[in-house]
Amino acid sequence: MAAAEESAFEKEIEPLLRKHCYRCHAGQNEEAGLLLDRAAGLLGTADSDEPIIVPGNADASLLMHRLGDEDYGDLMPLDGEPLPATAQSAIRAWVDSGAEFPKNWKASEHWAYAKPQQVTPPSFSERRNGLNSVDAFIAARLAEEGLTLASPAPSDVLARRVSLALTGLPATREQVLRLRNDSSDANYEALVDELLGSPAFGQHWARHWLDLARYADSNGFQADQLRDAWAYRDWVVDAFTNDLPFDQFVTEQLAGDLLPNANLQTRIATGFHRTPTCNIEAGVHPEANRVNQVFDRVNTTATVFLGSTLECAQCHDHKYDPFTQEDYYRLFAFFNNTPIEVEKVAGVQFDFVGPKMDLPMDEKQAKQTSALRNELEQLRKRQAAELAKDDFESWRTRTQQSLAAGRSEWITPTPEFGSSDNAPFRILDDGSVLIEGGLPKTVSYTFRYNQTLFESKWPILAVRLDALRDPSLPGGGPGRGDPERTNFVLHECDVNVVSTQETRSVDLCNASASFSQANYDVGKAIDDDQKTGWAIAPQFTDSHWAEFQLTEPIQIQPGESLTVTLQQNYGRGRITGRPKISFLVGPEESAGITDEIAELLLREAPLKPGELKTLRDLHRSRNTVVTKLDQSIKKTEKKLDEIKPPSTLVMVEMEQPRKTFVMERGDYLAPGQPVSPGTPSSLHPFDDAWPKNRLGLAKWITDRNNPLLARVTVNRFWMHVFGKGIVATPEDFGTQADMPSHPELLDWLANDFQNHRSVKQLLKTLVMSATFRQTSRVSDELLALDPDNRLLGRGARFRMPAEMIRDNALRIAGLLSEASGGEPVMPYQPDGIWKAVGRGQPKWKAAEDERRFRRGLYVVWKRGAPYPSFVTFDAPDRASCTVGRPTTNTPLQALVLLNDRVYAEASLALASRMIRECDSQNPRDVAALGYELACARSASDPTLDVLVQIYLDEKQRLADSPQDIEARLELLPKVFRDTESPAIELAAWFAVASTLLNLDVTITQN
Amino acid sequence: MRYAIPTSRRQILQRTGFGVGAMALQSMLGDESRLLASDVTADFNRSNPLAAKPPHFAPKAKRIIHLHMVGSPSHLDLYDPKPQLVKHHGELCPDFMYKGKKFAFLRSQPTLFGTPDDWGFKKCGESGTEISGLLPNLQGVADELCMIRSLHTDEFNHGPAQLFLLSGFGRFGRPSLGSWITYGLGSENRDLPGFVVLITGNVLGAGNSAWGSGFLPTVYQGVEFRSKGDPVLYLSNPPGVSDSTRRQIIDSVNAINRESLLDVNDPEISTRIDQYEMAYRMQTSVPELMEIDDESQATHERYGTTHRKGGEGKGKPSFANNCLLARRLVERGVRFVQLFDQGWDHHSGLKNSLPRKCKQVDRPIAALIEDLRQRGLLDETLVVWSAEFGRTPMAQGRNGLGKKSAPGRDHHRDAFTVWMAGGGSKAGTVYGQTDEWGYNIVENPVHVHDLNATILDLMGLNHERLTYRHQGRQYRLTDVHGVVQEGVKN
Repeated sequence: MAAAEESAFEKEIEPLLRKHCYRCHAGQNEEAGLLLDRAAGLLGTADSDEPIIVPGNADASLLMHRLGDEDYGDLMPLDGEPLPATAQSAIRAWVDSGAEFPKNWKASEHWAYAKPQQVTPPSFSERRNGLNSVDAFIAARLAEEGLTLASPAPSDVLARRVSLALTGLPATREQVLRLRNDSSDANYEALVDELLGSPAFGQHWARHWLDLARYADSNGFQADQLRDAWAYRDWVVDAFTNDLPFDQFVTEQLAGDLLPNANLQTRIATGFHRTPTCNIEAGVHPEANRVNQVFDRVNTTATVFLGSTLECAQCHDHKYDPFTQEDYYRLFAFFNNTPIEVEKVAGVQFDFVGPKMDLPMDEKQAKQTSALRNELEQLRKRQAAELAKDDFESWRTRTQQSLAAGRSEWITPTPEFGSSDNAPFRILDDGSVLIEGGLPKTVSYTFRYNQTLFESKWPILAVRLDALRDPSLPGGGPGRGDPERTNFVLHECDVNVVSTQETRSVDLCNASASFSQANYDVGKAIDDDQKTGWAIAPQFTDSHWAEFQLTEPIQIQPGESLTVTLQQNYGRGRITGRPKISFLVGPEESAGITDEIAELLLREAPLKPGELKTLRDLHRSRNTVVTKLDQSIKKTEKKLDEIKPPSTLVMVEMEQPRKTFVMERGDYLAPGQPVSPGTPSSLHPFDDAWPKNRLGLAKWITDRNNPLLARVTVNRFWMHVFGKGIVATPEDFGTQADMPSHPELLDWLANDFQNHRSVKQLLKTLVMSATFRQTSRVSDELLALDPDNRLLGRGARFRMPAEMIRDNALRIAGLLSEASGGEPVMPYQPDGIWKAVGRGQPKWKAAEDERRFRRGLYVVWKRGAPYPSFVTFDAPDRASCTVGRPTTNTPLQALVLLNDRVYAEASLALASRMIRECDSQNPRDVAALGYELACARSASDPTLDVLVQIYLDEKQRLADSPQDIEARLELLPKVFRDTESPAIELAAWFAVASTLLNLDVTITQN
Repeated sequence: MRYAIPTSRRQILQRTGFGVGAMALQSMLGDESRLLASDVTADFNRSNPLAAKPPHFAPKAKRIIHLHMVGSPSHLDLYDPKPQLVKHHGELCPDFMYKGKKFAFLRSQPTLFGTPDDWGFKKCGESGTEISGLLPNLQGVADELCMIRSLHTDEFNHGPAQLFLLSGFGRFGRPSLGSWITYGLGSENRDLPGFVVLITGNVLGAGNSAWGSGFLPTVYQGVEFRSKGDPVLYLSNPPGVSDSTRRQIIDSVNAINRESLLDVNDPEISTRIDQYEMAYRMQTSVPELMEIDDESQATHERYGTTHRKGGEGKGKPSFANNCLLARRLVERGVRFVQLFDQGWDHHSGLKNSLPRKCKQVDRPIAALIEDLRQRGLLDETLVVWSAEFGRTPMAQGRNGLGKKSAPGRDHHRDAFTVWMAGGGSKAGTVYGQTDEWGYNIVENPVHVHDLNATILDLMGLNHERLTYRHQGRQYRLTDVHGVVQEGVKN
């Protein structure tokens, strides 16, 4: 008798005290001097001298008063809701029955910090085929409540269930039929193996893992620009597909760069810890941002691999769990040696930097690169040959002759001026144009010159822009937009020869200027790129000039005219206010010959070696063949540069490690005592042989002595398969965690997993169990007894996660793309979602090809505005590590499935599939096929009645509104449309298909 | 309707403690459902987590309209006049303001920046609360305001400071104020979300985490009502789907779902049936709510809406429209209405920008308070006006030559002003005081956690008891801090 009641206390009462009371009344937390984790405390008295518990008399026990009677003060616990009535009555019953507990009882050490016990599965009382070790534990626990495992689910249900569980996609029709025809264990196992071997398996489990890794394609915060890290996402997919041993999977993500045999793949894996958010808003302090990122790495490491919440220890020793603040910063030290990720680019502008690694080029890029390299080689050869010709002497003679004939000079003819905004202007005496009137945002000026203005016998060699200041301009110019910042941006200077027949563009080269602003080099004014240009900040208070040589000198013929256009697109009036255009005219050889050079050329006496070199350099620069080749070489080099291999974010250790200090109150500006890398002393020891870096940390985490890693890991996989974990708080295995529903099972699975380290084997064990294969039908009695199905006396049944709902609908509709990997995709989403975040860049452009229908895993994840229908179905924003998403059931979800264009498109495609794939045209048969496609089972008669009825009613409605037929058929992008099936049939079955995609059964893993 | 819920099921569900309209579901509340059978929270309405819930004690306010000025206008120029600053305008600031301090932008010792004379503060109403001439309409309702001049925060960059003010934590991952309140009190309207967000301008730096539910179930996150496209995402039927088709699809879905319910007995299914009905109602109720046409001409003029009956900028989204919508939302029992207005980060050009922004919000805010009062809603509706931090008494401004451009003010976390109106806040009060420069607090400092504790208190919630168990901790909005400020309560 006594033994039974002891167990009643430990089984029922102690967990309640642990859950509701220990956080303030146990261990070192001794609120009001009360400890409830030991016999002395329970039998003691309060400050008021009232006894905590009077055995046999709950009404006289202060414990009961404080739990349920407000006259004694605020109900306990003070930091949460009062205990539920069931819990209170359980404690009351225990007190009334004598409050028995073991003599000198004291709460035991927390179970999760001891190594998993070696357990043998209990033996079965009942023999049934197909039971495995998992079932032994589940059945034994059920038997304690007088329950048994439920009967197996029908084969159709099972085929769909196991496919969803392992691959996140519904079973194909063929797979369903195969199991329907032969539902033997062997055939089921064959299906399981097939699913474990499919590419969809890796994609499905990667998606779960990426919630933990807080993987996203953007930085988060105000700017929230996109970043390239998708190679890491693909690495995770491959790791699951190839069943990378789990310890290796962990090690490569934590320290793949530090492995002795580090390679491209293991380095990509370190992207795991390059996912934290990064704030680059103006005025940010990069070091504060870096420290926050390291906090995130420490906290995520603890959550994912230790199931422990270390966050509290940032500021003070952990209140409940055995982690000190010093422990926290010793872990911090492991992560404290990667480079800073925010860098000032100018003034108070910051950018996202940090280690990136180039990936191999894709095939197309590699081809282009090698073609360009060949071209470059040819060009260089030709140039070398040209230079080898050495016609220096003949040039010297030619130039001497033309110098004798005349020198080149700058002329400033009076232009016909026009401004794109028709602004008023005045042409001043020096030939410059002073523009007046209202300030346009952007503008282009055109200077036009008649042939008659160039009557000189010499050609035009160069063109020059003077951007002059003028007292009438805001701030005196040269720009017009702002009296303080008198900048202008010249995006393009275009020169054209215009005749009645044609407009001929004149090539410019060799740009030079009085001054160029950083990133606004004058060369950008002639690079044919309207987005780049020349500007002059911060030299606001000077006039400026730019000169551009003509690649070929030109002579304007009678009937032709010359135009010079200045494109200024910056906005906010960053335009010149008083431009002046001049031309260099003269014999070609004399262009740009300074007086000094002319003197050298014309000198009779022999030249000194230095002087001769000056002439030779000049000659080289004036060989038009050479300069043209120069330009081609530069262009080719630029093209080569523009082919950027994809890159990914990786962890890189700095050569000089940072010093780490305990941060007082978690503030990085308040460093306390220095600490070195190390692990919490309350857990298993850190082997001296291991390096004191992330690799050593990985070895410590994957060490067999770690009591947490295997348990935490198998629990998460269990949760994804069964809907809930054996430990219901998968993110926390600390003292405040819920007790496991099946502690021995958890330990058995953990030990088994440590032995084989294979995720596939673990999952196979789970899905082969009879527990997994039970029907999810539930009797009223069992529902009342175990509403949350913690005992697993029935099959799990839960709504699919966000991405799976979409994948499932697309697969059913026959739209899902099989393509995998690479850059993230943009499928359809409502307008304006991205507009308001991340400086408006880039724009969302919905794909019209197969990328429109990729799996959700590949949809670009922008933290400030994640894919909205996923958010509605409880997807996180991935700004921080998420272990287990909530599963809500809201009207907004109904709106997504009813109205989101994605589901409308899928409905239309499903309608088409129903019509095309059905052997008969009998509506009942078509509806039956539709139901089977959507739910992977046969429809009941009442269901078919409903489906046929809506089809018939729709046909009638649509007969009167042909515009609705058209609107429905146009939902899909053209390439995906069915042009064969009759329009009205497609439109009517659309409503049926939409119904099917909205069904509870369709979106539920059952 | 072709199927009725069978009587026996109804009885069974009642026997297990769940009503018909709101039947049981398992995992709506992640953590609360993680209980062994013996430890089920019996008094928790698990079928409908948005059902109205009793507060911890008698509340002063039942609803909140929270107006947040994104970027943070200067407290010194709007609410906290400093003649001393005007007097010393242009002088180098005293060392204590700059030496050893961290700023977002200031990198060399700046000069003091006095409020321009023509913005003239005025003592207003019977209370004599001083308010800037930039807010003439707000001056008119000064006696309704409870102004806190002594707020301070921990963060001085926008994103983190917004998160800190609105979720009590400077980084991502925590539930927002509106989520906590909706979690604590549920919603009074069955056809609209309990927590609605209205935005003018770009989304703030904290992104949708500013109205996110963090680790709380996502039913508690704010729902953005957009001024362009569908007011609620996915609200309209797809092209070619008429209302009668929509109705029949929902009827068909629910009929087949009822059959599934009979088959597998999962209470989640009956919740889903209810949600489809609510979705259908929302398709009507939300457009009705957003259609402000039925408001009187006088109302439109009072708010200065951009409606055709209103003033300038017709047809464009505006803060004024959102203020009017906020009133319509609280009228319908929506628990928490969060407005964001972008464009208050005046690092430079303060003299032009601040008056321009004030003009956009002054009239509608005053109209909102007055309108609520006249309709008898102000007593039970708490209006909160906030910024994520204050601004420096020192000038900020530079150009490429180091020459000063039109000056503005840098971020300042040590002192700023927020105000409340209605909802049990103490009308006609100024609480707390800053020094003669408006730089440090000298009396009754109110930390962000104290403000949030007070807001919860006015709503009848004990901030220490409004907790959610996550990662082994009882999390709360105010972390382990927060003191209810009795001095600002009525």
